[in-house]
Amino acid sequence: MSETMKPGEARAPGHTYQEAIVKDSSPPPAAFLDYSYEFLGDQDIPYSHYTSREYAEREMEKMWPHVWQMACREEHIAEPGDYQVYDIGHLSAIVTRTESMQIKAYVNACMHRGTALKSPGDNGYCQTFRCPFHGWIYSLEGELLEVPEDWDFPHVTAETHSLREILVDTWAGFVFVNFDREAEPLQDFLGVLPEHFRDFDIADRHIETHVCKRLPVNWKAAEEAFMEAYHVKETHAGGREFSEPVTTYDVYPKNVNRFIHTVGSVNPRMPVPPTEQELMNAMWGKRGANEGDCPEVPDGATARDVYADIVKKKLSEQYGLDFSHYSTAQTLDSIEYFLFPNFFIFPGLSLPMAYRFRPDPNDPDYSYFDLYFLRPHDPASRPPPPPEPMMLDVKDSYTLAEGLGFLGAVYDQDTDNMAAQTRGFKTCAKGGQTLGNYQEVRVRHLHQRVADYLEN
Amino acid sequence: MAEDLEMATLAPETKGVVIHEGICILVCHTGGEHFAIENRCTHQDTALHEGRVRNGFISCPLHGVRFELKTGEPRGDLTRIPVRTFPVEIEGDRLRIRVSES
Repeated sequence: MSETMKPGEARAPGHTYQEAIVKDSSPPPAAFLDYSYEFLGDQDIPYSHYTSREYAEREMEKMWPHVWQMACREEHIAEPGDYQVYDIGHLSAIVTRTESMQIKAYVNACMHRGTALKSPGDNGYCQTFRCPFHGWIYSLEGELLEVPEDWDFPHVTAETHSLREILVDTWAGFVFVNFDREAEPLQDFLGVLPEHFRDFDIADRHIETHVCKRLPVNWKAAEEAFMEAYHVKETHAGGREFSEPVTTYDVYPKNVNRFIHTVGSVNPRMPVPPTEQELMNAMWGKRGANEGDCPEVPDGATARDVYADIVKKKLSEQYGLDFSHYSTAQTLDSIEYFLFPNFFIFPGLSLPMAYRFRPDPNDPDYSYFDLYFLRPHDPASRPPPPPEPMMLDVKDSYTLAEGLGFLGAVYDQDTDNMAAQTRGFKTCAKGGQTLGNYQEVRVRHLHQRVADYLEN
Repeated sequence: MAEDLEMATLAPETKGVVIHEGICILVCHTGGEHFAIENRCTHQDTALHEGRVRNGFISCPLHGVRFELKTGEPRGDLTRIPVRTFPVEIEGDRLRIRVSES
């Protein structure tokens, strides 16, 4: 380590992500070239932030009710009367589409004696919200319509006992809710996200695969497993030399951070760099991605550009859409944006995931992971209805979900680390996690944002 | 033993109700398949036929319990009892609903 550098100034040897992608034949979106790293400190992160019930209770009291959270996609509630339940800890919301096609969200509890109107995580259709206990009925607009034996309730009116509305708004086809009626608007909360996603058509994608898995680790540690590419070499690549991807880590105010790493480029640490054809062969054959002979990379061309064109053509045929305007970086790279506190989205063409993490309200050592694959469709056509989520328990392999393809085994590798980390949190005498200043800055950003709410 | 029911196939994404052998049967043609289930929610005996069919499920119009048309299995907390289902065979434009085998 250089003595003259300040903490956080050091970078991996060789070129940066931004320097790598400007060599692509198609210009990447301007946002990809942005550098927005900030040194956020180098103190250890206490393990009690993961393992303590008291800490989890403070998160539940002071953070979760006040932050915007992705409840569903708009296509979950395509028509009037469609609803989706979103549960976070002990809180539950019903998100629905009204007769006038507005999206509304209500606290999922009858105003009579508090019975939850809909089951956890449920979705479906109804003409009214009717409590299964005594039959109080509410319109899709949340208005109290009917109280059986209303002679006994002279003190109840639609003004006093309609469903409690909570904040709801949409971005890019996702529906977000916030239980705090005084919360800042979603648009402010999103920060740079809309601007950075200008060149993507996320609103015109739909959920093709949805897996919901129980994870044996605190929700923050679960998220952190996906926040850095530092683990790729050991967790996914068998420790092979030069398997570290060239990655940029960036933090944006207040709620957004990202990494982007290249696929199919030269690792600058290799003493003898591979030829473009060798890079092409590696991408072509990776995990059985393609059949037939690997195409030749013409003189002067790069494997990335040649392979991106093949991917764009293949996906154009598969989805009946034109992807020629996507740059090589947009097509190939692993582009992961995080929106505090629990939402990740990959806008790239090859890796089309979105993640949502939620704590287990009864045990800080467990969490729930919704994993979505989003696929594009013709903007003029209606998206297909979202699939039922496939529920996986802690020991179930992701490979049971066919829609995940080769990535099922990759997610298994990530999950194997989680149970081990939970055990280690409790035996480790050191008291906290030590983080890399650059590659693990997103982890620290997450903890600092949680602390902002807890200490406020 | 109950007789099987024969009837014409339904138009795509429609449903129909028939009473046969004293059972009210709801037939749904959705997602390219025909399904036959008893037209009675196992939560509180409400008829299911006014519920919306989506993604292979029907939502009960009363409290919204969802049943998988293929298996009759319920979702959510309101009931754990599956709704009765009947195997369906298609011969040309005719349906045979195997009431005898259910």
